[in-house]
Amino acid sequence: MNPDDIKYHREHAWVRVEGKKATIGITDYAQQQLGDIVYVELPEADTEIDADSELSEVESTKATSPVVSPVSGTVVEVNEDLADTPEIINEDPYGNGWFVVLEMTDPSEVNDLMSKAAYEKFLKEEEGK
Amino acid sequence: MAIKLTIIGAGPGGYVAAVRAAQMGAQVTVIEDTEVGGACLNRGCIPTKTIIASAETLERMRRAADFGIEPAGAVGYNLAKIRERKDRVVSMQAQGIRNLFKSWGVNLIEGRGSLLSPDAVRVVRKDGMTMDIKSDNVIIATGSRPATIPGVSFDNEQVISSDDAVQLKSIPKSLLIIGAGIIGCEFAFLYRTFGAEVTMVELLPRALSTEDEEMADLIEREFKKSKIKLITNVRVEKVEKDGDGLMVAVLSDGRQIKTEMVLVSIGRKMNSEDLGLEPLGVATGKHREIIVNEKMETNVPGVYAIGDVTGKMLLAHVASHQGLVAVGNALGGDEKMDYTTVPSGIFTMPEIGSVGLREKQAAEQGIKYRVGRFEYRALGKAHAMGEITGMVKVIADETTDKVLGVHICGAHATDMVHEGALAVRMGVTAKQLGGMIHAHPTLSEVVMEAALDAHKTAIHAPKAGG
Repeated sequence: MNPDDIKYHREHAWVRVEGKKATIGITDYAQQQLGDIVYVELPEADTEIDADSELSEVESTKATSPVVSPVSGTVVEVNEDLADTPEIINEDPYGNGWFVVLEMTDPSEVNDLMSKAAYEKFLKEEEGK
Repeated sequence: MAIKLTIIGAGPGGYVAAVRAAQMGAQVTVIEDTEVGGACLNRGCIPTKTIIASAETLERMRRAADFGIEPAGAVGYNLAKIRERKDRVVSMQAQGIRNLFKSWGVNLIEGRGSLLSPDAVRVVRKDGMTMDIKSDNVIIATGSRPATIPGVSFDNEQVISSDDAVQLKSIPKSLLIIGAGIIGCEFAFLYRTFGAEVTMVELLPRALSTEDEEMADLIEREFKKSKIKLITNVRVEKVEKDGDGLMVAVLSDGRQIKTEMVLVSIGRKMNSEDLGLEPLGVATGKHREIIVNEKMETNVPGVYAIGDVTGKMLLAHVASHQGLVAVGNALGGDEKMDYTTVPSGIFTMPEIGSVGLREKQAAEQGIKYRVGRFEYRALGKAHAMGEITGMVKVIADETTDKVLGVHICGAHATDMVHEGALAVRMGVTAKQLGGMIHAHPTLSEVVMEAALDAHKTAIHAPKAGG
């Protein structure tokens, strides 16, 4: 279920890297935990965001939760479809449910993120706590 | 012999003062130049809330499918019938005030009153007759009216005030609201629900700048969900008529906004003109408000002022309470006005109810405080009602634990805030508030959980950092 061409952050966000561009979304685990997503607060284009800081806030029927950016960069693209159909995050978290594209300021930050195998191991440990 | 009291203005300040004075045995005359009930009943609180009830019904009908309800036809609205309902509610309440006056023997004179001396009021009656009324004390309760900004004047058709907006003559395709304060925000949701494209322009960095910032943030997010556009940190330089019948607003950043209608809701002006204040030397301030002390006395003995015209807090319930204080003093008592526990309600979608200190005020006053927060969506009742948006925030003194402020944004916030008001007024602690049994299943449980959260002991919240 979790793709292996992306990197994972411990706060349950993912990054797909193409050159200096990083597409960011939340993981399948995150959307399952949140439940039905009803609204996503997204940053505007040109916003600068640091790694591990708040990128977005997601409102689901259960909670309002911050989404943390796995990498630092400037917002170059925002998924406008989320405004009217936030449920696509639940339906397709790794595809149509992407949040933003960042132009990374420090692509080496990607090296600190987890692979699919590492993330799944991390999830097992979290669940076992 | 009974004390004679003359009250100029029969709004929520004047009529409440009149009834109380009559209860206390005074001989009361009230002078009103339009309709009893004032702006509150005729152009404010009551008509807007009546229309909002229609808007909320419409909004719920649009969500009917979520509740498993299948309306037979398309959901629509009939503006004329909404207006009729509003007029009916307003006239019934006005009749209620007239009946109260009759029952308590309050003499109502329809006309314009002005002071001749501290013990005499001249009335130009609606029928053109002039009469002078002698009394021991006078209470001025003449209220306020919508203000506008330089470069923008009301034409009551395309450039309107809240007085016109509440008449609901038509729903424009596009509406520009200047001023994102309480009135502007209420009308934004209202006109949006009826289908207008709404843009708001605000001089300050945020909407609802007098509210706790987290409540204002929540409403700003609801604007986004409702597709209401909010532009902040910008001034409207002028509004002009365009060639094609639209209005064009020119903003201080050079932007131009084309719109069918403009609602100016930037504040209110005191009705302190033509009252004969100057010859008597009744002191007014720089906003033309009548200056009063905490006993509601002006600087001229025997002359009191209450309500919006005093420029203190432009709220109907404050006017009413000021009226009670003024009457108490005019009839020989010693009462003082206390503004520390004034709850307020904003009828946005969802509502805001707040009382006491905003977090920023607590910080500015150097108070060490703790904050408890709780979201509606964490509790079953909110889901059952289909009203999951919202939160309660409780601010408590870190040392004494006394509740300093309660802020609620969400369904029924304006009703729920009074538990917070009682807590603030009586010096209840966050532990006591959270420790009180709250009935299940009710939205009031959110207040309990927020109070508990001030000590990180809310039940329906995951362990922090867990």
